[in-house]
Amino acid sequence: MSEEKYTGLIAGLFQKMADMIGKDVYYVNFLILMFFTLFEVAAVFFDTIPGTDIVITRGAVWAVLIIVGIIKGYGIAAFFMHLKGDPFIYTRTALFPVLFVVLMIWGIGLSNPDGIDGLPSWCTPNWDYSYVTE
Amino acid sequence: MSGSLHDVKNSIWMRTVVIAVGLLVVGVLAYGVMAGGIGSMMHQDWDDANEEYEAAKNAADLALEEFKFAESRWENNGSQEEGALYEEYLESKAASDEATQVADDAHHHQVDAHLSYLTWSTAGKTIMVMFIVYAAFYGVAGFFNSIKPDEEEHHGDDHEEHHGSASPIMMAGGILFFMMGFPGFVTTCKAWLGLDYDADLSGFALSGFGTILLIMGIGNWWNEDLKGHPEQVATSHPFEGQDIRKAGMWIFLISEMMVFASFFSSYLRMRTGWCTQWAVDAGKCSDVDTTTASDLLRGDIMTLLPGAINTFALIISSYTIVLALKTAKNVNWEPSKNALLAKLFPSRKKAVRNYLLITIALGSLFIVLKLVEWSHLIAEGFTIDSQAGSIFYVATGAHGLHVFIGLLVMLFMVFKADTVGYDENNGRGIEYFGLYWHFVDLAWVAIFPAFYLY
Repeated sequence: MSEEKYTGLIAGLFQKMADMIGKDVYYVNFLILMFFTLFEVAAVFFDTIPGTDIVITRGAVWAVLIIVGIIKGYGIAAFFMHLKGDPFIYTRTALFPVLFVVLMIWGIGLSNPDGIDGLPSWCTPNWDYSYVTE
Repeated sequence: MSGSLHDVKNSIWMRTVVIAVGLLVVGVLAYGVMAGGIGSMMHQDWDDANEEYEAAKNAADLALEEFKFAESRWENNGSQEEGALYEEYLESKAASDEATQVADDAHHHQVDAHLSYLTWSTAGKTIMVMFIVYAAFYGVAGFFNSIKPDEEEHHGDDHEEHHGSASPIMMAGGILFFMMGFPGFVTTCKAWLGLDYDADLSGFALSGFGTILLIMGIGNWWNEDLKGHPEQVATSHPFEGQDIRKAGMWIFLISEMMVFASFFSSYLRMRTGWCTQWAVDAGKCSDVDTTTASDLLRGDIMTLLPGAINTFALIISSYTIVLALKTAKNVNWEPSKNALLAKLFPSRKKAVRNYLLITIALGSLFIVLKLVEWSHLIAEGFTIDSQAGSIFYVATGAHGLHVFIGLLVMLFMVFKADTVGYDENNGRGIEYFGLYWHFVDLAWVAIFPAFYLY
């Protein structure tokens, strides 16, 4: 755990926000996590953007869920788990299984021969099309 | 385990036995009030709603029969839009429509009453079971430690060599025996509940022995940790110079990431093959063939509420554990100028303890709401015997189990915070446990959108 000021593009932004409101980065991170959780629930719950006729498509909701997940994941890992500020070996340790996670999701998760088509060919490995046409 | 040593008498553990009795009383009271008291009233409401629905349904069926009879008489007489038969036809149609509407309303009321009953009943039962487990861990482990002979006192020497611990072996053995006897444990419980099963007492006994051994192993670990010992530092690449426990925790978290990744890849593999409401809305397919938990949950604010509250509860609990760590490490800590906060957190030691207690409360809320939500889903027919149900209950159940294990560890941390106390020297314990707790939060960051919103 490090008590020093955070620097860098995103962590620096968190630090600037913390300095602006006179609190620490943990507090800012907590607020951001709460806000984005509300945001993702709202994205699913509303059919149109409130106050407008703009329809929120399923694709848009999907993108919101992924982006918000990445932001929240970064906030928890970087600040609550202190990866930002701790020796880099811990970040490398945390990233090590990501390779396997990506392979599992790519190689197993997206390889269903009964999968609904529309996914690009590069993310549908081992699709047995003969099985589909039988 | 800490970087400082404390001379703690084992008799201090008798406090946990007293706390365990208190926890048992609270658990039974919660069951009595929520499941026995309010739950019974809700059950009565549900019974009344059932009767109302049956009566309304019978009335609707009767009205429909009368309408069909009137309709056939009117049709047999040429379907003329005037005359007594036509009037009778219109009246019976209106009566049938009204009766059907009343039956629909009664059905909604019946479903609401059932879910209200399930909410209180499940919450009461869950709190009781949780508190019995809390009490078992506190009571058995505490009693086991309190009757141990005291070791020789330390004399301010913090450079004592770290000795190996038998606790991991005991805990692993306990889990082994528990799992070996677990099928027998389940069938015996089912037999005792009056279901059509034969009790397997040998399996039940083996499972019970494993549980006791596990709790004793954990108790031994708690005892060692309470007294503390010097922090071991890694001496070789790649963690050279780092605390071994911290490196070990991260290695453990790697394995946890793989466990949850396997759930996600299985879910994705199945999900890409299903034609869900989401896929229909996105124009990917036309006929829904699978109903997911998210289909049942995300459509209404009341069904989504438990999952949403749980998300906020985990985020807040992540923050409170950070505050506990920050407070423990802050040598210049001062009480807040706010009167309420100053009462809640009067001293550094009590502030750490209370932040941990808040974390336990939020984690317990998470478990209660999760089981309430499960009971509602099961009542709606979304059970584990479907593909969608299987992956949902296994993934969210595994996550819930991680939360519950975290709560059991926190029970000890609260005891330590209340007795020895956490400070700048031994605050690492909170930091390392915090890594686990934040990981559980991180996993939920992925589970919540994947299983509740998507």
